[in-house]
Amino acid sequence: MEEQKTLVEQAKEELEKRFSRTLAVAASNLCVHCGLCVDQCHYFVATRDPHISPVAKAEQVRRVVKAEHDWLRRIFPWWTGAKELTEEDLDKWVEAAFRNCSMCQRCVVNCPLGVDTPLVLATARGVLTAVGKAPEILVQLADAAIAREENLEFFKDFYLEQIKELEAELQKKVGDPEARIPVDVEGARFLYVPLSGAHTIMPAAEIFYHAGESWTLSMFEAANYGIFLNDPVRSKRITERIIREAERLKVQEIIITECGHAYAVSRWEAPKWFKDQPWNFRVRSILEVMDEYIQTGRIQVDPARNPFSVTYHDSCNLGRNSGLFDEPRRILAACVEDFREMTPNRERNYCCGGGGGLVAIPEWQDIRLEAGKPKADQIRATGAEAVVASCDNCRHQLGEINEHYGLNVRVMGMAELVANAIVPKNGKK
Amino acid sequence: MEDRFLEFVKFDLQIIALSVFALLYALKVYQLMKLPWPKEMGPRRGSEELGVVYSFAWLFFPWSMSSTTQHLGRWVEFALYHLGAGAAILGTFTIPFWPAIMTRPVSLTMAVLVIGGFIVGAIKLARRILAPELRVVSTPDDYFSLAAVEVFFFFTAMALITEARGWMIAYFLITAAFLFYVPFSKISHYVYWFFARVFFGLRYGRRGIIAGKKA
Repeated sequence: MEEQKTLVEQAKEELEKRFSRTLAVAASNLCVHCGLCVDQCHYFVATRDPHISPVAKAEQVRRVVKAEHDWLRRIFPWWTGAKELTEEDLDKWVEAAFRNCSMCQRCVVNCPLGVDTPLVLATARGVLTAVGKAPEILVQLADAAIAREENLEFFKDFYLEQIKELEAELQKKVGDPEARIPVDVEGARFLYVPLSGAHTIMPAAEIFYHAGESWTLSMFEAANYGIFLNDPVRSKRITERIIREAERLKVQEIIITECGHAYAVSRWEAPKWFKDQPWNFRVRSILEVMDEYIQTGRIQVDPARNPFSVTYHDSCNLGRNSGLFDEPRRILAACVEDFREMTPNRERNYCCGGGGGLVAIPEWQDIRLEAGKPKADQIRATGAEAVVASCDNCRHQLGEINEHYGLNVRVMGMAELVANAIVPKNGKK
Repeated sequence: MEDRFLEFVKFDLQIIALSVFALLYALKVYQLMKLPWPKEMGPRRGSEELGVVYSFAWLFFPWSMSSTTQHLGRWVEFALYHLGAGAAILGTFTIPFWPAIMTRPVSLTMAVLVIGGFIVGAIKLARRILAPELRVVSTPDDYFSLAAVEVFFFFTAMALITEARGWMIAYFLITAAFLFYVPFSKISHYVYWFFARVFFGLRYGRRGIIAGKKA
């Protein structure tokens, strides 16, 4: 009988499985410990704690990788800081990779050498998940999404009933008893994938209605907590439901709601996991669709309908991870009269502090709010009355830092703002 | 006898050290290339090729990153340090293999660059000792590598300024020792740097984060 492996042995084995060319470079002597990344991290900016700078966090993992792969590991391991993994190290990794890093990637774009610190820490997340040390709530949320697929019949009636209620609300709002929120419509142009909650369905439904769009919902939502665990099995399983739905319904596009990680997973990560490439459909964010509608005149918007000053928070997953910088700005230019940029913005923007799944972990609320201070300062400096974010996790975090730091701003989604600005073709609203 | 020793350290020893150095780097690169490479597969939003060009170019434009914009002095230090290193390394080739080019003004210009690097190196070493955020991540290799480069700079500068036999011998002995040590130390970052910038450019270029978006 095979001897049972210790936790440390399992972790080392998982680390080896994940040892790719990109990780080998990121965990090598590439990092010269120059410290230029230190004050690019919102955690460090907020806390000034040298132990939670990007380099310090990555170094905890890098030293273990060096113990396996550095040339001097056998003769002088201490010389390069190489260190054999212990169970205590794994507990420290939980702090470094899950609690003290939101995977925002600000350190990478600001590293003169291009050290991919989030890759190093994401690897630690994957190892910790494999050995059962990941935050339980993230595992539960990922598993709940998978369980939904397995118990679809159980959820279906309740879901359809809820959609009917929303449909009645939509009809009232647009003044058209024929307005629909379609579910499971084969041959629709778009499969719109929302999150759980009416706030990600209603504004989009209103926009699609005014654009005369052919669209449908399915039974699944966009959230993918598997990616926060860096667990490719769970992540793939959760994404696969949406991919297969798109195939079944023969849609031309999957449109992901305002959710940073869900978009990044579907647009950039999922294509690495599935062999049946390229798909017969493309993946876009609702941001890109709204931008297209406005630019092509498919919907008419009046900025006077949003008569307040607005600033925009670049979600890390939509911006720094996916390149959606211009689309939201074009939408804002059309939909609000007073748009104020935060400084810094675009790929230099600070994370709100809620990324990487942190917003779902109540016991780490203290550090999450503390790390949100640079964002709170950015928002306050604009003097804007509203902050728009195209990511649900960001909006949740922004809502909390709004209250915590007394910013007194309104936190909004982009679709909500666009829906407000729409000038109906029939003149009603 | 002494002249033969100078000739030995200037030519034979350098060639041996350079060969070992090249062999070790070839091995490093071979080990790296054997590993799987999870490539980006999502349909392109931007240009990977331009991304790679931008990725390498960023280093030369301090305004391209917040870190170097905020710490412009550090970028200047970086430039001076690497110019010094470049001059010191160049000397190991030009002195033995192209002596005609080593006129007095050329030697002194190179010496000035190397002294600039030496001064910056001293600042870097002091910062590593004094700054808590650097101290917590520093290994013996970090301190030794910086100190070793300082020694290399010192002997290079003295050799270039004096052109004396003794300093020349010391310079080439240090260079050879350096070539043997570098592949094992953090000084080898420049080999990985090439790969890291390519990976960065491919990913951030393809995703349209840098280098503009494809229409």
